[in-house]
Amino acid sequence: MEQYRKLLPTLEKLSTDVYEMLTHALSEQGIYVTAIERRVKSEKSLAGKLELKGAKYKTVDDITDLVGLRVITFYTDEVDKVAAIVKRLFDIDWQESVDKRKLHQLDAFGYNSLHYICRLKEGGPRFEIQMRTALQHAWSTIEHDIGYKGAVKLPPEFRRQFSRLSGMLELADDEFARLRITMTEYRRQMESLVKSGQLSDVLLSAETFRSYLELHPFDRLNKRIAAVNQAEIYPVSMMSYLPVLESFGLETLGNLQTFIDENSDDAYQLALSQLAITDLDILSSSAALQYLCLVYVLKHDGGREGLKAVYDTINGKNDANGMLADMMLEQAATLSFMQRKLEGEK
Amino acid sequence: MEVKIQEQDGNMVAILSGRLDTAAVPNTEKAMGPLYECEKQDIIIDCTDLTYISSGGLRIFLSILKVAEKKGEHVYIKGVTDNVRAIFAMTGFINIFEFK
Repeated sequence: MEQYRKLLPTLEKLSTDVYEMLTHALSEQGIYVTAIERRVKSEKSLAGKLELKGAKYKTVDDITDLVGLRVITFYTDEVDKVAAIVKRLFDIDWQESVDKRKLHQLDAFGYNSLHYICRLKEGGPRFEIQMRTALQHAWSTIEHDIGYKGAVKLPPEFRRQFSRLSGMLELADDEFARLRITMTEYRRQMESLVKSGQLSDVLLSAETFRSYLELHPFDRLNKRIAAVNQAEIYPVSMMSYLPVLESFGLETLGNLQTFIDENSDDAYQLALSQLAITDLDILSSSAALQYLCLVYVLKHDGGREGLKAVYDTINGKNDANGMLADMMLEQAATLSFMQRKLEGEK
Repeated sequence: MEVKIQEQDGNMVAILSGRLDTAAVPNTEKAMGPLYECEKQDIIIDCTDLTYISSGGLRIFLSILKVAEKKGEHVYIKGVTDNVRAIFAMTGFINIFEFK
């Protein structure tokens, strides 16, 4: 214990240094983890360990986990990536290191993690780095809480329940990793389809809408509207319009492109009727999309409520949106597309 | 065009009165200077007595918003008249600001 007390400042510095080296290396490699925990073993905890297994330890250097860090990843495949980084950063004591993921007996319960006993390349005390997934960590915490490792041997039916739960979590971990790969492939496919213009095969979603916006599909109409007053176009996000487009029943990017093509002329007319009598020379880059949505509502008998719903969706529910809807309805009444609609209804 | 700046409940409030037309823009921008410099405070632009806003006025609001967003602060626009709200709507800026 005396050796421990003398070593304590070194151990605390070691804990900080290793933590910083790991954090920096993971960040550089673009690996995001849920947590990196660290601790220097407390005097009380060490005393407990020595009481249980004191004969095993001759000096303080025999104890490998005076400094311990735990890296908790999202996915099971990232545990090996973190391990590769740890191997690069530190010297590994392979005699003492354990891959507890490979240790299970078929009837054993609890699945654990990868434990490396390490040393800084320039020497110094050893330290332990545990690497595990969030689910493995949850399991470990729960089984610690339940105390299954306690002195009392559990009956077979409890052991079986633990085993089943452990198996379920292991399955979930594997499935999360598989799902992530599938989703990444799907995203790549969709991006490729969008770039190649095969829009009818791409379902409308936040991700695909974002990719679609990179093609600047509203630029032409925006420029046409801006030309009314030689307006500057100020870039803004258009994501708040996605629920509006979905409410119109647009299911694919192909539908969205058709929506733009079929309504652009009328959207321009509506914008012109509003802006031509002003000298407003700055417009949001969402102006074209806004006018397209309003025209769509008008042409599909959405009326005041439909127009108000558009404003409520993009701007938040507000009684004042009713005023905007009334204003829009009044101004649109004389436009050719509304006249055509009325003629058609006769 | 009058601009009054004051602190209220931990927020920075700018009370605008009159017409924020093109001619009023330079003085208004100068008067609203403290809104660019505030730290860890949300900004409220009280437009209850603002009867008109020009493109120049919109540009002032947008630049205040840009600076505030970088600092993680909110900009709220309060008490907008129908006329001024219509200008935000027709220029497509209706959903860029938070209206109170």
